Amino acid sequence: MGTTQRNFSVVGKGAHVKDAREKVTGSLKYAVDLKVQNMASGKILRCPHPHAKIVRIDTSKAEALPGVLGVLTHEDVPQNDWESAWFNYRGKALDGTGRFVGDDIAAVAAQSEEIAEHALELIDVEYEILPHVLDMEKARESGAPEIRCEGNERDPYIVKWGDTDEGSAQADFTVDCDIFYESQQYAPLGRNACIAEWLGDKVTVWTSSQTPSELRDGVHEALGIPLSKVRVMAMPCGSSFGQWWSNNFMIITVLLARKIRQAVKIELTNEECMATVKRRHLERTRGKMGCTKDGQITFAQIDHLIDNGGYGFKDDVGFFCVDMWGKARNGHYAVHGINTNLVTAGCMRGVGDCTLGASVERLADRLAEKADMDPVDFRIKNQIVAGDELRMQHSRDNMKGNRDAYIASIPPHLRKDWPELFHLSAGGTRAILERGAEAFRWKERWKGWATPHTVDGPLKRAVGVGTGAHVCGVEFEGSSSAMVRINPDGSAKVHCAVGRQGRGSETTQCQVAAEELGLPLDMIEIETGDTDSCPWNHGSLASSTMYRTGWATRAASNDARRQLLEIAAREFFDGIAPEELDITDGEIHPKEEPRSNRRFTFSQVLNELRSETLGQTSSITGRPAVPMPPSTTFARQFGAQFAEVEVDVETGKIKILDFVAVQDSGTVVNPQVLKNQVIGGAICGAGFAIYEHLVFDEETGAIKNANLLDYKLLRCADFPHQAQVLFEESPDPVGPFGARGAGESPIAAGISAVSQAVYNAIGVWVDLPMTPERVVRALNAA
Amino acid sequence: MTMLKVNNRTLEVTSRPDRTLADVLRNDLGLIGVRVSCSEGECGSCTVLVGGEPCTSCLMLVNQAEGQDITTIEGIGSQDDLHPIQQAFIEEQGFQCAFCTPGFIMSAKAFLAENPNPTADEVSVAMSGNICRCGAYPYIVRSVLRAAEKLRKSSGQQAAE
Ligand code: FES
Ligand code: FES
Repeated sequence: MGTTQRNFSVVGKGAHVKDAREKVTGSLKYAVDLKVQNMASGKILRCPHPHAKIVRIDTSKAEALPGVLGVLTHEDVPQNDWESAWFNYRGKALDGTGRFVGDDIAAVAAQSEEIAEHALELIDVEYEILPHVLDMEKARESGAPEIRCEGNERDPYIVKWGDTDEGSAQADFTVDCDIFYESQQYAPLGRNACIAEWLGDKVTVWTSSQTPSELRDGVHEALGIPLSKVRVMAMPCGSSFGQWWSNNFMIITVLLARKIRQAVKIELTNEECMATVKRRHLERTRGKMGCTKDGQITFAQIDHLIDNGGYGFKDDVGFFCVDMWGKARNGHYAVHGINTNLVTAGCMRGVGDCTLGASVERLADRLAEKADMDPVDFRIKNQIVAGDELRMQHSRDNMKGNRDAYIASIPPHLRKDWPELFHLSAGGTRAILERGAEAFRWKERWKGWATPHTVDGPLKRAVGVGTGAHVCGVEFEGSSSAMVRINPDGSAKVHCAVGRQGRGSETTQCQVAAEELGLPLDMIEIETGDTDSCPWNHGSLASSTMYRTGWATRAASNDARRQLLEIAAREFFDGIAPEELDITDGEIHPKEEPRSNRRFTFSQVLNELRSETLGQTSSITGRPAVPMPPSTTFARQFGAQFAEVEVDVETGKIKILDFVAVQDSGTVVNPQVLKNQVIGGAICGAGFAIYEHLVFDEETGAIKNANLLDYKLLRCADFPHQAQVLFEESPDPVGPFGARGAGESPIAAGISAVSQAVYNAIGVWVDLPMTPERVVRALNAA
Repeated sequence: MTMLKVNNRTLEVTSRPDRTLADVLRNDLGLIGVRVSCSEGECGSCTVLVGGEPCTSCLMLVNQAEGQDITTIEGIGSQDDLHPIQQAFIEEQGFQCAFCTPGFIMSAKAFLAENPNPTADEVSVAMSGNICRCGAYPYIVRSVLRAAEKLRKSSGQQAAE
């Protein structure tokens, strides 16, 4: 194992990312850097109360201020709900009610930001204060203040198999937990801005977004205008990781621009980015797990709460991470999504994995200790491998009709390409755990549960291991597409609306197209932001870019290639079957004779296409001929990580000393791009494990540390620079050239590796984030 | 009216003296490589060199910088003529979204001028004034080490010539 079976010419090669020069010279333009002619500045008035209804709003003083161009209130706003991807937002752009401190209330456009800010102070709002609830447990109780008309809690999301009572009876050891997770903030480096400009009844929107098509849909829904009148031009994002999808401030910008009939830019401050948009959910797991003496998990019973804040609407974070420990004989997982009067919560990198997934890892670790098993062995024994049945239910319930009807709806030639539904297609944790254990010298360094390998005065050092898994995109939210165009000169352009989140997917999508087309990489460019030229795409979320969009890019390239070879066969190769031709380095030649002198370039073929006999077509456009197979039902990415930590039992400070991360994302399309994702995930996970959390005001829920001074992030010296990343490449039967997703499993694995290592050092489990105070408190309590 | 010496040019800006240097560089002079994130001196993404010293330009007022040599990322290399540190960041891919990258490169430039032959640990500590939320840290350390090597080679060549 370890490498793929196929020889590729572009895939798997360490190409530098295409925008590297723009990035290192500072010339890359993010949305904050963009200006358009005659652009006004917008600012948003924010709710000072956790829950309040506007009784009266008087904007006349603000409007009278010189330099003010207009004020937008809920009275100007169509009362249509709009939705962001994955239920990260559901509501109206402005509806006259504030549901958290900092919620959007109104907006001002002015000649300058300073004037707009001043005008905000002149808006006179009379609020009726409504009862509020910050605690998700209280928000569930009957008689709790109602935050949304749909109710504060909907039906739970449930995944179950077998019978947990039976599983419990079979168990020799049982553990339980009640773990509360603080909220992590995206804490983006870089802010976001949105510019909207109307020409007649059509609007163009520029903003940093991972999901341009979803934003176009959102504008369409909120304003009730045809999709054809909305053009989104997504710009590159600073570190986003789920924050910049389609966000309400973008919709407000569009409405404000429409009101003043002039282009408007709203640029969020750092504080607004951290306190008014989104955050990771506050979560709580109550769980039970049992195993036999030889370490076979007999049941997992999990009840998990997630707090969605004011406008989030999620309850499905569990359906993919439950598969990880799918060898448990019986399972029952329930996830409850609850609204509170806190800032909206949404999908942050590794949603569910970092909380529910981490709880399950912790339960499993505590069982492994009782069964006196090594945590690596315990994982190998109980975690899923290729071919195992998956446990999630959602896909089954959402298949068109039922499983048989769904299969019947897939074209027969695709059916054979994918594994049996509801079984893991490839990979698993065994190979990555074994590989990592060897590279980390686990057997030497692990001295048993709660046993440091070195004690040096107050300093205790130990190792830990953690695992993480995630889906690679989800199939029941629309079919992501791509388009590939071959130009008359033989160059090609990929169009896929995945935005530019910054990980390098522009480059990796081009690598996929280059491989399929047989073109050198520098002949391929890509458009990822313009919804007028790209077909609908879910965007880069849910780790779907390589797997789902990559599949579409490859399928579109394949379609273009087919058209090209048909013309070449007819016009240049005496009408032989197109399948007898191949392409190498941008030249078409007989398949059997790769070195033949009879070779023609793309441009020769396309110019033939332009000749009079063939009409005026000057380019070839390729599209996926069929929809993608239902990916959620069988594709997962896996990470296994190993950490060595040092804990100072006097100060409670944790230092990470060494780190090995092993990743199985199928075929590696670009090793350095993937390494960056894996290490970046591990660092974000380690940060969540030891520092990061938002502090909410107990009375109002206002965020007290919405700045990078008080919200601590890991820095360079906080993470070992010698950290190693290794790959296992179990080729996927569906993903492009065997590739799958990558970005989200590493963060989860990092959290569990660090927290287990801390336990092994000090013998006490500490709640996350394991800040120095909490470590000391946990030690004192023990 | 303020005179600023930016990237070897003397430029005039009409500005209230209480504006920050970062604001003027970005919005009046179009030097967008000066990235602004936190505005409070924490993240380092707005780092520029003032009189050769790394400064967080979001905290410096424009009149404090008057008369001094200011260097931004735009002043050390261009897309067609990269500075060795920029080249090294590309080769080691010391970034993802790259919002932090100009700041890291400017910090690295000042650091390597002081310490041309650092250890990895020294680089790691020196780069801790800047934040990279994408977590490219290990590759940033490698980038700076590689840059040091490139710079040593080219100054060795110059000395030999
Ligand atoms: S923007 Fe200046 S230090 Fe963060
Ligand atoms: S590369 Fe994104 S913040 Fe550093």
